[in-house]
Amino acid sequence: MNFYEHTLIAKQDLSSPELETIEKKYKDIITKTEGKVIKIEKWGLLNFAKKIKAYNKGFYIHYKFQAENKTLEEIKKNSIIDNSLLRHLTIKYKKLDTETEYFKEINEKKK
Amino acid sequence: MKRKNNKFNKRPQNPLNKLSLFQKSDSRFSKKCPLSGKEAPVIDYKNLKLLKRYISDTDKIMPSRITSVSQNKQRKLTSEIKKAKILGFI
Repeated sequence: MNFYEHTLIAKQDLSSPELETIEKKYKDIITKTEGKVIKIEKWGLLNFAKKIKAYNKGFYIHYKFQAENKTLEEIKKNSIIDNSLLRHLTIKYKKLDTETEYFKEINEKKK
Repeated sequence: MKRKNNKFNKRPQNPLNKLSLFQKSDSRFSKKCPLSGKEAPVIDYKNLKLLKRYISDTDKIMPSRITSVSQNKQRKLTSEIKKAKILGFI
């Protein structure tokens, strides 16, 4: 069992119940394939530095979990087909840092 | 004349003399790596404040001879900057 981080970028024009279904969908994929979800962070709407597929903004969802290799394949399969996602990235870690949240300050400044 | 000057420099000096403008500072050209050491910041693709310091105006990675980052940490920086570029932060 290794530690992983996974981030999704969803499209800008989605409604809030649609975003919750996306968040639930990938949470269920991890738990069904014998993985453990440690933390979920919502970074909210953020601006891109450059346009991605003619979009200027996107919703970011960040997962921290512990899983085997087969869950990664499942996540990759589903996110490639998914039309509501723009990009995704998974990264392996030896130790997970669950305390520091880098995007908390940016979201507080907006309010 | 040069020999006389050398002898003059080797004499034990008052430490206040080093403050003068005409003294060559040794520390100006040999800088320490800012990312290694005990209280160094964490290099991570989410830590955007740190990554943006090591990028030029046209989003290129700065060479280590300008920023004086050590070779091991420069390798980590480039991989983290490229991860941030995939997610559209930079």
